[in-house]
Amino acid sequence: MNQIGEFSLFLALATAVYGLVCYAMAVKGNRIDLYLSADKTPLIVWGCVVISSAILLRAFLINDFSLEYVWAYSNKELDIFYKISSFWGGQKGSLLFWTLILTSYTAVVYFQNRKKNLEVFPYALAVLLAITTFFLFLLNFSTNPFEVLPLPPEDGRGLNPLLQNYWMVIHPPTLYLGYVGFTIPFAFAVGALLTKNLDDGWIRLTRKWTLVSWFFLCMGNLFGAQWAYIELGWGGYWAWDPVENAAFMPLLVATAYLHSVMIQEKKDMMKVWNMSLILLTFVMTIFGTFITRSGLIQSVHTFDEATLGYYFLGFLFVIIAASSALIISRLPLLKSKNELDSFLSRESSFLFNNLVLLGIAFATFWGTIFPIVSEAFRGVKVTVGPPFYNQVNVPIGMTLLFLMGIGPVIAWRKATWSNLKKNFAKPLIAGLVGALLLVGFVPLNSKAEVFAYITFVLCIFVLSTIFGEFYKGTVARRELRKETVAEALGSLVWKNKRRYGGYTVHIGVVLIFAGIAGSSAYSTNVEQHLRIGESLKIKDYTLRYVKLTAVEATNVKTRIIAELEVIKNGRHLWTARPEKEFYKGQNQPVSEVDLYSTWVEDLYVILADFREDESATIKVYVNPMVSWLWRGGLVIAFGTVIAMWPDRQERRRRLERLKKQAAVFAPAQE
Amino acid sequence: MKRKQLRFLVPAVFMLGWMVLGMAATAPAAVVIADLENALMCQCDDECGKVLVNCTCDTAKETRADFRKKLESGLTVDQVIQVYVDKYGETVLSAPTKSGFNLTAWLTPFAAIVGGGLGIRKIVRAWLRKNRTPFSPAHKKEGDTPPTAPGRFSKQLQDELEQIEL
Repeated sequence: MNQIGEFSLFLALATAVYGLVCYAMAVKGNRIDLYLSADKTPLIVWGCVVISSAILLRAFLINDFSLEYVWAYSNKELDIFYKISSFWGGQKGSLLFWTLILTSYTAVVYFQNRKKNLEVFPYALAVLLAITTFFLFLLNFSTNPFEVLPLPPEDGRGLNPLLQNYWMVIHPPTLYLGYVGFTIPFAFAVGALLTKNLDDGWIRLTRKWTLVSWFFLCMGNLFGAQWAYIELGWGGYWAWDPVENAAFMPLLVATAYLHSVMIQEKKDMMKVWNMSLILLTFVMTIFGTFITRSGLIQSVHTFDEATLGYYFLGFLFVIIAASSALIISRLPLLKSKNELDSFLSRESSFLFNNLVLLGIAFATFWGTIFPIVSEAFRGVKVTVGPPFYNQVNVPIGMTLLFLMGIGPVIAWRKATWSNLKKNFAKPLIAGLVGALLLVGFVPLNSKAEVFAYITFVLCIFVLSTIFGEFYKGTVARRELRKETVAEALGSLVWKNKRRYGGYTVHIGVVLIFAGIAGSSAYSTNVEQHLRIGESLKIKDYTLRYVKLTAVEATNVKTRIIAELEVIKNGRHLWTARPEKEFYKGQNQPVSEVDLYSTWVEDLYVILADFREDESATIKVYVNPMVSWLWRGGLVIAFGTVIAMWPDRQERRRRLERLKKQAAVFAPAQE
Repeated sequence: MKRKQLRFLVPAVFMLGWMVLGMAATAPAAVVIADLENALMCQCDDECGKVLVNCTCDTAKETRADFRKKLESGLTVDQVIQVYVDKYGETVLSAPTKSGFNLTAWLTPFAAIVGGGLGIRKIVRAWLRKNRTPFSPAHKKEGDTPPTAPGRFSKQLQDELEQIEL
C-alpha cells in the first residue's frame, strides 16, 4: 500500500509538470489542442495527492512503523486524535499536507473558472501547477514521507508531548489554510500581469480567496496563541518567536492589501501597490516556511530535520525576481487613472494605514533576520527577543489603532472642516470622557501601565467611531423606511455586508488590542513552595493546597496532579488541578496549567515542581483581560463571515456603476 | 524657521518621540528577578531559544536560583547580566544592546517608516499637483467659465459613485 502512496506522489509530479508545460505552450502558441490536453491535469494531480495523503494517514492509524515518518511521530499508545495530527507533526508530512491543501484549492479554482475568465485562468493554473511542482519535487526527491525503515521497529518514538494538545490539532491546519490560500490571489495576479488584463478583474475574482485566507491566517495566529497560553505554562501567549513572526508578517501585509485594494476598486488607483502587496504576501508565506524548514534561525517551532533551506531560498529568489520583473515590465499599464483630491481624505488615511501595517511587518522581519545580519557584519550572533519587538512594535501598533478610528469615518476624496467636525466630534468627546473616567480605575504607576491606559483611550475612540457609523446608518434607515431598530440595523448590515462586516472585524481587533494592553501591563504572579494545607495569596484569591496525586494515564504517560482550593471573598470559587505529565523517553515533563477565565481576568495555576514529601511549588498568575483576545477572535470571525457572505446585488450595483460611468463619459468622447 | 527645515524636523521629532515612548515601554523598574528573566535567554542544552521568563525547563529554574544567589551577594541587575554576557557572549541577551552596530536594529524600523511616510507625502503631493493642472476640473475656479459637459458630469458621477458601496 505504501508503494502506491509513493507512486501516487510521483504520478502527481509527472502530471503537474505535463500540465504546466501544456498550459504554458497553449497560451504562448494559442494551441487549443494543448489546452484541452492539459485540461484535467489539476484534477489528476489533486487525486494523486489525496491518495498519497490517505495512505499516509492509514499508516498512522494502523501503526505501520515500517515507514520512518510514522515511527518518528507516532506510537501505539497515541490517542487516535493525535495520530491524525501527527500527519502534519513533522517536516515530511507537513509538506504533504501543504501540497494537499494547495491541490485542493487548485481543484476548487478549476471548477470555479473553467467556463469563465478564460483569459487569465490558464495562466493562473500554470502558476499554481508550477508551485505545486516545486512542492511535489521536494516530496519525491528530498523529504519523501514514504521512506521505509530496513527493520521495522515494534513501536514508534511518539509525538512531542507539547504537540499533544487539541489546539495543536486545530492550529497548524488553520494556519496552512491561510498560508496556502494566498497562492490563489498570487496566481491570478501573475496571470493578470502576463495577460495585461490589469483592471480590477483579478481582484474581484480573488476577493473571497483573499478574505478566506486572511481569516484562516488570523485564526491560525490566535489558535497558536491559545496553544502557547495553555500548553507552554509560562503565563503568556505570544513570545515573538521567529516562526510566530513568520505567521504574523503575511497577516499584516495581507491586511494592508485588503485596505488598499478598496482604493483601486473605488478610484482605479494604486494598481502597482496592490499588485506588489499581494505578491509580497505570498513571498512572506514562503519566507515563513523557509524559516521553519531551514534551521537558519533558532526557533522552538523549527522542525527536527530542517534541511530544506536552500530549496526554499532558491524558490523565494525565483518568485521575487520573476514577480519584480513582471511588475516593472508592466509599469506603464499599471499607471493610475485617477488622482487624489486632498491630503485629508480616506484614500490618504488608507495610505498611512498601509505604511503603519507594513512598518510593523518590516520591524518584525528586521528583528527576525537581524541575528543573521549581525553575524554577517560583525561576526557576532545576537538574539532578538520579546523586549525588542515590544519596544518597537507597541508604539507603531498604537498609531495603527488611532488610524483605525480615522479611516472608517473620514470622507472619500476630500474631507472638509465641517465633515471632520461632524464625524469626529463625538468620538473625540467619547475618548476624552473615557480618558477622564479611566484615570480613576486604572493604575498608572509604570510606563507599561501608561501605555495600556493610552491604548484603552484609543480603543474607546475607535469603538465610538464604529458604533457611530452603525448608529447613523440605523437612524437613517428608520426614518426613511419606518423600520424598527432591529430591522433597520439588520437591513443596514445586510445591504452593505462588506462595509459593516469590515467594521465588525475592526471591533474584534479593538478587543484584541485592549486584551493585549490589559494582560501585558497588569499581569501579576506569585510563586510559592507549599506543604499540604498551606495557602498562598494573590490579589483577591487564596489558594489552599489540598493534595498531590499520581495517575498512570497510559503505559507511556504518568500524570502528577496538584489540587488547590481557590477561595475568593471568603467563598469557594473553584478547584484548580494543575499537573505535570511525564512521558517515557522524554527528558522534560510537560506542564498542564489549570485556568479559571472570566471577562475581567484569568487565574492561571501551574504546578512548577513537587517533592517526594508531597510538597509542591505552585506558580499563579492573575492575567487581566486575556479572554478579550479570544473573544476578539470570535468577533473577527463573525465580521469576516458577514463580509464574505454572497451578495447577489453586488454585481447589479457594479453594472449600474459602470453604466452610469459610460453614460456620462460617452457623449464627451464622441 | 523655514518650511523646508520643518519638513525634516517634524518627522525627526516624531521619530524621536516614538522611540523614547517605545524604549520607555518596558524599561526596567526595579531590581528584581523578573528584570533578569526578561533580559536573558535560557541556555539549556536543548537550545530552546526562549527568554528565561517564558521558559519552564530545569535549566531555567537553576538559572533563577543563581540570580537570587547573585543578587543576595550584592550584585546589581546590570552586574548579573554582565556576568552572564561574559560567560555566554552577547547572544545570551534577549535583545540587542543600544550601542554600536546593534543600534541599527533599533533605528532601522523607525527610519523605514519615516522614510516611507516622506515617500507617501511626496507621491500624494505629486498626485495633488497633477490633479490641479490647467485642464483638470479641480483647477478651475467657480465662475471662470461654465463647466464643460464632462467636467460637470464628472462631479455628478463622482457624487453618485460615492453612494454606491461595492
